[in-house]
Amino acid sequence: MQNLDDLQKVLIIGSGPTEIGHETELDSATVQIITSFKRHGIKTMIIDNNPFSVALEEIQPTNMYVQAVTTANVRHIIERDQPDAILPSLGGLLAIRITQELIENGDIGRFGITILGMPASTVRQINNPAALNATLKDIQEPVIEAQIVGTEDEALGLVESIGFPLIVKPVAPRIDSNRTICDNVDDMLVALNQGFQQSRFDQCTLERSVVGYKEVEMVAIRDAADTTILISGLENVDPLGIHSGDSIVIAPPQTLNDREYQDLRDSTFHIARELGVVGVMHIHFALNPDNQHFYVTKLAPYFTRGVALAARTTGYPVAMVAGPLMLGQRLVDIKLPSRYVKQTAIMEPTIDHVSVRIPIWPFQEVPDADQHLNTAMKAVGSTVGIGRSVEEAMLKSVRSSQFSPRDVLPSVSNLTDGEMISQLIHPLANRILVLIEALRRGYDPDELSELTKIDNFYFVKLQHLLQIEKRIMDHPMDVDTLKCGRYYGFGDGMIARIWQTDTAAIRELSASADVRPTYKMIEPTGGEFDEEASGYYSTFEFENESQPLGDRTALVLGRGGNQLGPNSAAEYFTTEMLKQLKRAGYHTILMNTNPNAIAVAPEFSDKQYVDPIQLGDIRNVIQVERPDIVIVPGNRHYLTRELRKLDLNLHVLPPDQETGEPQPKRATIGVSLFVHGQHKIAAGVMDMIAPGMNQNLAQVTAFRMPAELPKADRVRLVELAKQAVSERQITGMVHVLFAPKSDKSDALAVVGVRPTRLTEMAFLSKVTGINWVRMLTRQHIGTLDDEELGEIKIDLNSTRVALMNAAFPFRQLHVLNRPGTTDQEVGATIAFGSSEALTLRNLSDTEELDRIINRTI
Amino acid sequence: MAKRYLILEDGSAYAGEGFGAGATTSGEVISNLNLLGYQETITDQIYHNQIIIFSQPAIGNVGINHDSYESILPTAKGMVVRDVTNISTNRLSRLSLDEFLQQHNIPGISGIDTRHLIRKLRKMAGPVKGSIVDVADAHAFDQLNATVLTNRQVDQVATPKPYPNPDTGKNVVVIDFGLKHGILRQLSERRCNVTVLPWTASAQDVLNLDPDGVLLSTGPGSPLDLGEGVLEMIRAVQAEIPLFAIGLGHELFALANGAKLEALPVEYHGSSHPIRRIITNDIIYATQGQGYAVVAKSIDRNRLITTYVDLINGTVQGLRHRDFPAFSVQFFADGAPGPHESRDLFDEFMEAMTAREG
Repeated sequence: MQNLDDLQKVLIIGSGPTEIGHETELDSATVQIITSFKRHGIKTMIIDNNPFSVALEEIQPTNMYVQAVTTANVRHIIERDQPDAILPSLGGLLAIRITQELIENGDIGRFGITILGMPASTVRQINNPAALNATLKDIQEPVIEAQIVGTEDEALGLVESIGFPLIVKPVAPRIDSNRTICDNVDDMLVALNQGFQQSRFDQCTLERSVVGYKEVEMVAIRDAADTTILISGLENVDPLGIHSGDSIVIAPPQTLNDREYQDLRDSTFHIARELGVVGVMHIHFALNPDNQHFYVTKLAPYFTRGVALAARTTGYPVAMVAGPLMLGQRLVDIKLPSRYVKQTAIMEPTIDHVSVRIPIWPFQEVPDADQHLNTAMKAVGSTVGIGRSVEEAMLKSVRSSQFSPRDVLPSVSNLTDGEMISQLIHPLANRILVLIEALRRGYDPDELSELTKIDNFYFVKLQHLLQIEKRIMDHPMDVDTLKCGRYYGFGDGMIARIWQTDTAAIRELSASADVRPTYKMIEPTGGEFDEEASGYYSTFEFENESQPLGDRTALVLGRGGNQLGPNSAAEYFTTEMLKQLKRAGYHTILMNTNPNAIAVAPEFSDKQYVDPIQLGDIRNVIQVERPDIVIVPGNRHYLTRELRKLDLNLHVLPPDQETGEPQPKRATIGVSLFVHGQHKIAAGVMDMIAPGMNQNLAQVTAFRMPAELPKADRVRLVELAKQAVSERQITGMVHVLFAPKSDKSDALAVVGVRPTRLTEMAFLSKVTGINWVRMLTRQHIGTLDDEELGEIKIDLNSTRVALMNAAFPFRQLHVLNRPGTTDQEVGATIAFGSSEALTLRNLSDTEELDRIINRTI
Repeated sequence: MAKRYLILEDGSAYAGEGFGAGATTSGEVISNLNLLGYQETITDQIYHNQIIIFSQPAIGNVGINHDSYESILPTAKGMVVRDVTNISTNRLSRLSLDEFLQQHNIPGISGIDTRHLIRKLRKMAGPVKGSIVDVADAHAFDQLNATVLTNRQVDQVATPKPYPNPDTGKNVVVIDFGLKHGILRQLSERRCNVTVLPWTASAQDVLNLDPDGVLLSTGPGSPLDLGEGVLEMIRAVQAEIPLFAIGLGHELFALANGAKLEALPVEYHGSSHPIRRIITNDIIYATQGQGYAVVAKSIDRNRLITTYVDLINGTVQGLRHRDFPAFSVQFFADGAPGPHESRDLFDEFMEAMTAREG
C-alpha cells in the first residue's frame, strides 16, 4: 500500500446501467466524489457505459472510458493508464466483484495499485458469505451460521440441526443471485439445484431463516484514524423476508429502544474497524423483537440506496465527506463548503423529523411479473415523505408514491376477506393499502402485527390516520378539521376528495383560516446550530424557516421516484437543466421526493423542497418562493393543465413525449434536429433498432449512429427531415422518423415526427459532445445565441460508431426474457467502436446486441 | 386529550395537548437533542425540576421498559414533545409512557413545535422558566414569574440513607448526588460489590468501608450549591483511594482540586458532539448533559491534567489528577441512553483499583 498522499490518478469503477437494485444514487455519489477528488488535485478516471450518467459529464473525455464495466476492461485500463488507485465503492457489488477478481488474478499486486475504501482482504470477503461469516464469528459479531454444502446429501444431513424455514444461497455467484427461503425439503432441493449452477465453486450455503425478525440498517462513515460516526439508522417497517428495497423504510428507527439501537451502532463500528473500512459502511441487521438478539445479515462497505437515504434524511453530506476520507484525510480535518456549520462533518447527526421511504414497483409496465414481495428485490425506484410525526411522514410518502398520482388515498375495498388475509400473509406491492383496509374492516392492531410481523406501533399510527380521515368525513369544510388533517399529512387533494370539492375550495378555506405550511430545514444537528442547509420539507407548525431564495429564481418540479420508461434519462435531463439554469444566473429551487435523485444534491440546485409534487404542495412552495419561472416535467399532464390556469411563467421540461400527432407503426431511421427560428441543426442520423422485432416503434429500444447508410442518403434524409419540420412549424428538439415506403421498396420516406425522446437526447449529447439538454433549456429561457447556433458543426458521417441499447428488468423480475418496449426500459448501455464492430447485421436479437455492447473492448 | 399550554417567562405561550398527569407544573426549560431514549431521559435525576423539550419528534413509541429506568422515581417536571404515542404492547413494555407519567404526576404536552423552541432557547440567556398550564392567562404568568427555581436539587433526589448492591468483586463506594442506574449497571457488569452512600458522607464514612475505589455520581443542579464539606471529603478520599467521578461528580472533583466552573449560556443535552480523548487522540461520542463546565484556564496544571475535550464548544470533558489515581469525566460514561464507546472508563476504574492492590 502506498502513501495516500502520493495518489495522483484514481480509477472509479462505475455502476453501469440503472437496474433493479441500483438507480441514480450511485451516479449521484460519484458526481460528489469526483468533485471532492478534484479539490484534492486528483485526476479521476471512470469506466462506465451508462449513457444517462451525470458523472460522465463531469469528467474530461480523456479520462472517461465508455466501456462495459467488466474485469477485462478494467484490467485493460489499468495496464494502459496505470492509475495509482482504484475506487470500488461507487459501483455496487459488481465493482467489488471486479476488484476481487483483479486481486485474485494478481493484477492489483502486479501494478502496485491501492484499493481505496477497504483493504484487499475485505474486498475478497464481501462477495463470499462463508468467509465473511467466519470473520464475523472470529470477531464475535453475531451471524447466522451458514454451512457450506456441495451436494444434496450434505444438505439433507444438516436439515435437522438448522430447521425449516432455512435459506439457500450460492457461494460466490457468477451473477446477482438471491437468497431462497425454503419451507421444506422439496423447496430446498430445487433451490440447491439452481444455486449449485450459479456458484463459481458449485457450492451453496444453508442457514437459519430469520424471516419475521425486524430488519434494521445502520449507515456509518469511518476515517483511517478510526473515528466513526453513525449517519443514520434505517428501520424496515416490513420484517425480514421482504427485501429492504421492497420494504417501507423509516428513519430514524421508531420501534427500537435506545439499548437496541446503541448495540447495533456498536456492532457497526466494530465491524467497520475490524474490516478496515474507510468511507461508508452500510450494515443490515436482523433483530429478534422478542429477546433483542440480533444478527448481521448483510454488509455493504460501499454506496447504496441506504446510504443515499441516510444522507437525504439527515442532510449530512455523506459523499462529500467520504471522498476525502478515502484519500486518507481524517474526519476532524474535513472542510465543508460554507453553507455547512464548520463542525458539521464531525458531529454525529441527530434529526428532529421522520422520513419514510416507500418503493415504486414496475408491475404496471411488466404485468406478468409475480407481484409478491419476497427476498428478491422488485422495486425500481422509491419516494420519500418527510414530516414531524410518523403519520405525516407516512402519508406524505404514500401521496408521493404511485398509489396516489393525484393526491388521493386509494382504497382496496373490493378485496374479499379471504383475499385480504392471503395478502396480509403473502404481501403484494400494494401492501400498505391492504394494511389500511384491514384496519378499516376492524382488525385489531395486535392481530395484524401477529399476522404480518410488522410492529404494532405502525398499526397504531395507521389507525390514527383512519380516525383523522373519519373526522374529516364527519366535518366537511370545518377549519379545525382541516388543520388537523394537514397537521397529520393529508394533502389538499385528499381532503378535497373526501369533502367532494376541488383543491381550489380547500385552498380558499386554508387561506381564510391561515392554515399555511411551515417549512423546516433538513439539517443534521437537530436545531443546535444555525445551519444554512438547502433542503426543506413542509409541516404545519409554528415557525417557518424557509425564506424566499431571492431574485431570478427558477422552480423545477422533479419527476418523483424512478419508474420504468425514460426515467433515468429524465434524471439526467433534470440535472443538466438545473446546471444550465444556474449558469444562466437563475437561483434554482428543486422540488422532488426521490431520495436517489442526482439533482437533489446541493451541488445542482440552490434549494430543495422534499415534498409531494402535487398541486397543493407546489402552490404552497410557489407562494413562498414566487419563482420567476416554473418548470414542470412533460409527463405530468394533470399538473401542467392545472398550473397553466395560474399566472405563472410555466415551461414544460423535459418536453412532453406525447404529441397530438398520430405516430407511425414502425420506423427504421431517425433524424434528430434542433429547431430554433431559422436554424435547423441536424444532431444525428440514427438507425432505430427494435431488437428481434419488425421495427415496431414502441419496441425501438436501440440506436446506432451514424445510421448505416451511404453518405449521400444521410444528407438526403437530413434535407427531407428539415422539410418535414418546416411544414409542421415545430421548435425544440425533434426526431423525424423514416421507414421504407413499402415492403417492396427500400426507399425511405418520412413517416412521422415526434419530440426527441429523453433517452435519444442523452445519446445524442454523449455522441456529439453537445449538451442538447442545455441547448433546449437555453431555448426555453431565451439565452440562445443565433451566431453561436450558426457555428455548430456536427459530423453526421463519423467513422466512430455509437450504439445505445436499453436494459430491461426481465431477468430480475423472473419473467421471460424478451425484446422490451420503451416503457419497460430500466436503463441503457452505450458503446463506441468501429463501424465493423457495431454493424447492423449483428444487432438482430437482444442477446446478440447485449453481447456486442457489453463485450470487452 | 385536553388542550393545554406551555408558557415561558418571556411571555410566550404555545398551545398543545396534555398527556400524562394533568397537574400544573413549573420548572427550568431545557432541550434534549438525543435521538432516542426518552425513558432513560425522563427518569434521569439530573432533570430534577426541569421541563424537558425533546428534539426527537415521536415519543412513547416503545412504551416503558423494565430495563430502561435511570431512577425508579422520576422527578422531572414535564415533557414537551411534538408527537406522543400511547402504546404499551411491546413485549418488554408493561406500561405506556402516558400511564407512567400519570403515576408519577408528571405532565406532558404534545403538538408543540419543539424545533422552534429548541432554536429559540438557544438564543435566550440563562435558565428559562416555563410552565405547563390549562389556561395561559395573566394569572398563569404571574405564578410562573413568582416561581423560584430551587437550588436544593441534590438534597431532594439523592438517597438519604446508605444501601448496598452486593456482589463478589471490588469493593466500591458510590457517592449519590442523584445517581443514574447506568452507573450501577456498569459496576454490576464488572461484579463490583457496591455500597451507595448519601452525598453528605464524610471522608471517614467512606474510609470506614475500606473501599477499593470511590465513584462520585452524576446529579442535578449546580455543584456550587453543595458547600465545602463535600469538597473536603473528595480531597481526603482521592489521596487514599482510586476515584472516578462522572457529571456533577466531575464538576465537584474539579472544584476540590482548585479549578473553577462556569455556567454555560445554554445547557447542552445530547450526544452528537465529538469528544477527543487527548492521550490517544481518539474521538468518541457520549451523552452529555451539562449546565456547567470547568473553566479550562482555571485548571491548576500541577494538580490536574485535561484528558477529554469537546471539539464543538471546547469544554473540558475529562480530568485526571497528577498525583493520585483519580479521574473524572463530564459526559455520561455509562451510555444510558446514548453511545457506549466511553464505557471503557469503567474498565479504567477497575484497573486503577487493581493496580492499587498490586
